[in-house]
Amino acid sequence: MEKLFFLMFAAVAIASGLAVVTARNPVHSALALIVCLIQVAALFVLLRSPFLAAVQIFIYVGAVMVLFLFVVLILDMRKAVLQAFPPVKKRFVVGVILVLMAQILAFVFVTPMGLSPAGGWEPTVESIGRMLFTKYLFPFEVVSVILLAALVAAIVIAKERR
Amino acid sequence: MPDLATLLEILIIVVKVSVISGILFSLPLPLTWIERKVAGHIQVRLGPWRVGPHGVLQPFADMVKLLIKEDIVPERADKFLFKLAPLLSMIPAFLVFVAIPFGEKFAIPFVGKEITLYLSDMNVGILYILAIGGLGIYGMILGGWASNSKYSLLGGLRSSAQMISYEVSMSFAAIGVVMLTNSLNLLEMVRSQSGSFLDWNIFYLPVGPVWFVIFIIAALAEINRIPFDLPEDEGTLAAGFHTEYSGMRFSFFMLAEYVAMVTVSVLTVIMFFGGWNPPLDISIFHLVPPIFWFLGKVILFIYFFMWLRFTLPRYRYDQLMTIGWKVLIPLSLVNILVTGLMII
Amino acid sequence: MSKGPSRIAEFIKKALFLDFVKGLSITLKYNVSRSITLKYPDEEKWVPDRRFRGQHTLNKDENGRELCVACELCVKVCPTKCITVIPMEDDTGRGIADRVAKVWKVELARCMFCGYCEDACPTRAVRLGRDYELACLDLSCTTREKDELLKPQSIPDTIQGGFVVRSSFERTPEGIRVVPDLRMQKKRNI
Repeated sequence: MEKLFFLMFAAVAIASGLAVVTARNPVHSALALIVCLIQVAALFVLLRSPFLAAVQIFIYVGAVMVLFLFVVLILDMRKAVLQAFPPVKKRFVVGVILVLMAQILAFVFVTPMGLSPAGGWEPTVESIGRMLFTKYLFPFEVVSVILLAALVAAIVIAKERR
Repeated sequence: MPDLATLLEILIIVVKVSVISGILFSLPLPLTWIERKVAGHIQVRLGPWRVGPHGVLQPFADMVKLLIKEDIVPERADKFLFKLAPLLSMIPAFLVFVAIPFGEKFAIPFVGKEITLYLSDMNVGILYILAIGGLGIYGMILGGWASNSKYSLLGGLRSSAQMISYEVSMSFAAIGVVMLTNSLNLLEMVRSQSGSFLDWNIFYLPVGPVWFVIFIIAALAEINRIPFDLPEDEGTLAAGFHTEYSGMRFSFFMLAEYVAMVTVSVLTVIMFFGGWNPPLDISIFHLVPPIFWFLGKVILFIYFFMWLRFTLPRYRYDQLMTIGWKVLIPLSLVNILVTGLMII
Repeated sequence: MSKGPSRIAEFIKKALFLDFVKGLSITLKYNVSRSITLKYPDEEKWVPDRRFRGQHTLNKDENGRELCVACELCVKVCPTKCITVIPMEDDTGRGIADRVAKVWKVELARCMFCGYCEDACPTRAVRLGRDYELACLDLSCTTREKDELLKPQSIPDTIQGGFVVRSSFERTPEGIRVVPDLRMQKKRNI
């Protein structure tokens, strides 16, 4: 049963991922990306991690994609549709994709992974919080400093020049 | 072959889902009537009067009208997205109710079987509701874009900007409540507020009322009701994102809007007003089934939103942004700090 | 007054939403107050004051003689030229003088109910009455002839007017009517 659901979600995720790249209309691409992200959230649920699934939908689908669409809506669609993307030779693109795929496959086959999480550790909100503030405190703090720097930079860029 | 008990469980879930969806689908009927009545009486008019006694059949007449109205799709519109958008706006509004509890347990008489008054007891309930509830925005943005009309597009743009600005403070308010109740689970939230009305989160002085105000303002902006209904501002944008919609597709948007209003009322009651707990911990109040306390509070909040709608004027767009970014977000950050200090 | 305390007061006012509370209490007051809508035509009907200018009526004196002497002053004074009067001689005592109106008709579609005809009339024959339900289905019914105008109107002159009465809404083959029940009168503020 669980495998069936996994296959279903994974298939839809891949199909919508392809649609993101192939769709000529940027809004359709964005919609396909939303579908893809929701499928990934569903995969998180299958991995017994509802918190991550909710966060995935909340942040990626609920906020990031809204911003994406906001920008896409302001685009001049007629010009954007005509432009070829990416603006480089096709051979180069295929090469990059192959390298990335090889990387992912290597990662999949090297690291031990299963459909269900490692036993004994329940990914509840509490345990994730505990992990963040004990084991992974240093990366957590580094990430927050980077985010703060990005925030400050955004404000500086957006501020009117006197 | 699953055994009988499993089948019964599945049957119960199916029945619950269909009851809830049935209620939600028929919800706009009484709500439009109530809203028009409230509007009428606040403006010293009568409201609907002629179709049925006190106009109670008016929504049915409107429904028939919407059902048989011509379904117009603009010629230059993006047909696929245009047709998809009303559904995108309606489905998340319904999905939210998967996680909303209406009470603890209810024993069916004669059978002796207890059923729970919620579909799913999620331990990330509040997060799920905020996440899924936020998805309804795509119906507005894509509907506005797909209509290929300047009013619709502006409505869609406005709604996306408004959504991003207010979702932050709404989530902060939710975080505040989570800090007060120590749980993301809505059932736990209600249980922690049991007792008299002084145990409710709104009376958790001094931070409770502040969280409540932040939540209610952000929620009003989130569900596009006056004073923050800029995406469908009829004064400047015709009807905003649903200008080009007619008939059933329009009514899907309206349905989503009303369901969102009910969701926000329910959330407010669960998060701040003790859910189904009676206001005083005395035996007379416990005789009333808890679901009635719950519904009573929800109805009061629905009335409150309607009351606000016919009292306040609409904010200007820059005022909306100022309130969101310069007032609510700093205020909620400070309030998180205060709440944290109080809990310690 | 210094600027400091007033700004603090302003801040407190904003923080406690005092203006909102004020507005909300006003609308709540109206919400529970009586509505001023007239339930016309179902249940209630407005009886106008005597000074009301509705459909024309031609009066008779106490002996039942027509007051109109067909002097045509109303025709002359009418700004919209909606009145037509054709005089004729008649010494049978139908009118108060030997000259009576053969035709006296008014086109209500053109009349603007200014009341100049009342003022011009030397014998007080023409009056603007209190019937105001003048809607009909085609243009022919907008012209009112003398016979019709000579009949007394639905509200007798003895009733002061200026109040609301209960009424019943009737559907007849000729059309719809709102029949007032003149016994029950109630004042209402509008």
